[in-house]
Amino acid sequence: MVVRVTTGRALLAATLGLGLAAGVQAADSPDIGPLPQLEIDKAKAELGKRLFFDKRLSGDAAISCADCHVPAKGYASEKALSPGYPGNGHFRNASSLVNVAHRKVWNWDGRIGTNLNDMTREMLTEDYIMNMDMRVMQERVKQDPVYVKMFKDAGYGEPSNGSVRKAIPEYMKTLTSKGSPFDAGKMSDSANKGMALFKGKAGCVQCHNGSMMTDGKPHNTGVPENFDVFMDPMNHQAFIAFTMFQGIPNYMNLKRDPGYYNITLMKEDMGKFITPSLRELKYSSPYMHNGMIATLADVVEFYNNGGGKDSNKSDKLKPLGLNDQEKKDLVAFLEALSGDELTGPEHVWDKPFPAKYEAIENWTQVRN
Amino acid sequence: MSVNKIAPTLVAAAVATVLAAGSVQAANEASAAGTAKAAPPALAPLGEAPIPPDNKSTPDKVELGKMLFFDPRVGGDASTGCSTCHEPDQGWAWAEDFSRGYPGTVHWRNSQSIINSAYFPRQFWAGSASSNEKQAKAAAKGGVAGNGEDDIMEARMAVIPEYRERFKKVFGTEWPLIDDVWLAISAFERTMNTTGKYEVPLDKYLKGDKSALDEQQVRGMALFNGKAGCINCHNGSLATDLDYHNIGIPPNKRWEEDGLAQVTFRFEQYAKGQTEEGYRAAKSDWGFYYRSKNKWDRGKFRTAPLRYIEYTAPYMHNGVFYTLEEVVDFYNAGGVDEEGRTTLFPENKSKLIKPLGLSDEEKEDLVAFLGAFSGPEITMEKPKQPPYAPLFTKAELEAAQEEK
Ligand code: HEC
Ligand code: HEC
Ligand code: HEC
Ligand code: HEC
Repeated sequence: MVVRVTTGRALLAATLGLGLAAGVQAADSPDIGPLPQLEIDKAKAELGKRLFFDKRLSGDAAISCADCHVPAKGYASEKALSPGYPGNGHFRNASSLVNVAHRKVWNWDGRIGTNLNDMTREMLTEDYIMNMDMRVMQERVKQDPVYVKMFKDAGYGEPSNGSVRKAIPEYMKTLTSKGSPFDAGKMSDSANKGMALFKGKAGCVQCHNGSMMTDGKPHNTGVPENFDVFMDPMNHQAFIAFTMFQGIPNYMNLKRDPGYYNITLMKEDMGKFITPSLRELKYSSPYMHNGMIATLADVVEFYNNGGGKDSNKSDKLKPLGLNDQEKKDLVAFLEALSGDELTGPEHVWDKPFPAKYEAIENWTQVRN
Repeated sequence: MSVNKIAPTLVAAAVATVLAAGSVQAANEASAAGTAKAAPPALAPLGEAPIPPDNKSTPDKVELGKMLFFDPRVGGDASTGCSTCHEPDQGWAWAEDFSRGYPGTVHWRNSQSIINSAYFPRQFWAGSASSNEKQAKAAAKGGVAGNGEDDIMEARMAVIPEYRERFKKVFGTEWPLIDDVWLAISAFERTMNTTGKYEVPLDKYLKGDKSALDEQQVRGMALFNGKAGCINCHNGSLATDLDYHNIGIPPNKRWEEDGLAQVTFRFEQYAKGQTEEGYRAAKSDWGFYYRSKNKWDRGKFRTAPLRYIEYTAPYMHNGVFYTLEEVVDFYNAGGVDEEGRTTLFPENKSKLIKPLGLSDEEKEDLVAFLGAFSGPEITMEKPKQPPYAPLFTKAELEAAQEEK
């Protein structure tokens, strides 16, 4: 469970994050461009990779991070709504984790603004995500000789839940875009035209800017609610638990995802979500916080109509009057922001996990 | 706490000296004459289960509690509820040394029967819960038991219409509240006793029906009250002094051979607040120590109540004995098992536990008498799980969308 303490920090990070005041002109936005390099500790990242794919990191040892953040889907969920921990559903799409280390705020509503260590803790301990008692997790990890060696080699010493929460973020740093036509400077004519629209007539850059194509801020774009959140009691129970915990008034009768309102409880933040990155979208359909938009062409159509219906919608969104060719060009540009699949063994742990925990030999004689 | 814990042991030790000299009769006389402080209270029939004023029982509450007791959705992944580890046909307990655990885990203690639990002011093997209500909450949330969180379990109740209705009727709330789940389960548990038609032969006998025990059992009772000294701890109407003793139970060997059990063993050291050194060094269950943090409490457990034990094998906090014959052999040997193993804290072992010198026939008599602590098996048809259903209609959702 996240404590509300992170809220203040989330706000702070959102404000400081990319230093953009609301309402600035497209021309003032930080330019879109390649991502900075990250320094990665190989041994730690390798350990993090094994942990990311290990089902023993969930309470009932039934799911791993990768069951919701699916490699072939750009480390997002396969369906519109993420699966939940067994016995539960979920109420949002599992965000893509590609380039996640480049973000400053996390979750669709931006409720974590500190670091990926906190984000990892939230994922591990949240009842409808992995429901892991981290003391059990630590002892499971210690029982596996492969981990004991890997932790040691990574310089962490004895396995601990603290170092699990360091190693997984180190692995997430390796999930970085590479080889996109945009970064390589090899975009098609159509994509180049699309980029011009993106920065100009279509006004996308007002919110999608900087190397991650996000201002890190919350906006209401009027994405329609996904009724499956409420019609499937498994999803709804997770939603109720979440909004109860966030202290949303009247949460039992809530019929929409309140988004950023979770954090501020201010009416003007109802239905706002943090601008997502636009990289690697090729893999991560369907789109938006609740997976309500199936294809990139549909997304462009959505914006061309001035976004969805919501009294609180951002006034940056207006019908765009794009013609069919312009729409195609914009889609071509969005596609050019995707690079290679991150599904090879450098990113995916493909060796089997032990079927059972070996006993520690000579148990009565050795110290725990 | 610890002061209370020493006193009864000392008293019991004094009594034991008297017992060695003669019988309970003698002890009672001695105490009447003022030569010993107090004899242990004699075995007495089980009375009515106490019902706390802040959780009054009603038929609707008991019925709801029964449904919840059998509903695995009161737990983390909706697979492991109370009845999962307290199976009616396994003595309302679990018939392995260590209880089964939450999926992906094994427990580290034997599952206790819930039968008669209502009578115990302190619950669990080492008495860490002070009521059925607190016990139920701890069980549903524990990492290797229910592993549920309050918010998700409460949310689940809300999307099960029948529960919503029943909670409203019983507790008067618009939506089910998680703390009321524990109240209802406790109300149900308080009806699960060896009274009425489930009365045990011993209680019938103690109430005057001399035909309830056979001759062998009567001989066994005399041993229990006399030469074997069981009465020193298993006494009064609950057959327990409600105190904590180290009787010499050796660690379960499964910890040496089973990796999953080793995982839980270390987890429990953390969960129970061990020091760093204790976590590194512990190789057995330290029992009452986890509560008192006094080293003389290591290896002490609550004197087990004996009613209904015919159905609840294996025995002891770690299930090391599968039969009552093994239990009696263990006591007869002075708290040592057949391989000569005993507690890792012999310095804490009760002075009341020492070789008894029972003959084979006496051991058989004592085992026969232990049989008198169990009456008919308590069975029950498992209630149906009420289904989930959406809280809103599509039309309501569409209307809300329009209003955005
Ligand atoms: C049961 C499904 C599930 C599992 C398992 C899961 N996640 Fe997530 N994850 C989600 C969902 C859904 C979100 C979006 C949550 C939200 O916005 O409220 C998310 C969000 C995230 C984010 C934030 C991404 C962003 O850009 O904001 C990170 C980082 C993350 N998860 C990492 C992990 C890690 C690491 C693990 C394993 C320790 C993990 N997740 C396991 C479903 C899951
Ligand atoms: C007012 C700020 C704003 C503007 C302008 C804007 N977006 Fe967005 N965009 C967002 C936000 C906020 C979301 C997430 C909304 C949600 O999930 O409900 C989003 C989501 C998206 C997504 C889905 C990403 C994913 O991972 O699911 C795409 C694609 C996208 N926008 C493309 C565009 C394009 C193309 C334009 C220009 C036509 C544009 N956006 C203009 C704020 C904006
Ligand atoms: C995973 C198995 C498991 C589950 C699930 C479980 N229990 Fe238990 N129960 C045990 C074990 C093992 C003990 C003894 C634990 C100890 O002493 O630490 C126990 C002890 C008890 C006791 C104490 C009896 C006494 O004589 O002191 C009661 C009462 C009880 N459980 C009721 C419940 C209820 C009610 C639930 C559901 C909310 C529940 N249990 C769920 C395994 C389980
Ligand atoms: C010093 C106090 C003491 C004396 C004397 C004593 N017991 Fe016990 N008895 C206990 C305690 C404490 C436990 C629980 C021990 C544990 O789980 O580690 C127990 C457990 C038991 C159990 C297991 C019950 C269960 O549900 O697992 C049986 C049976 C039993 N005793 C029978 C006897 C008999 C028969 C005698 C006499 C030969 C006797 N006891 C003498 C304290 C005593």
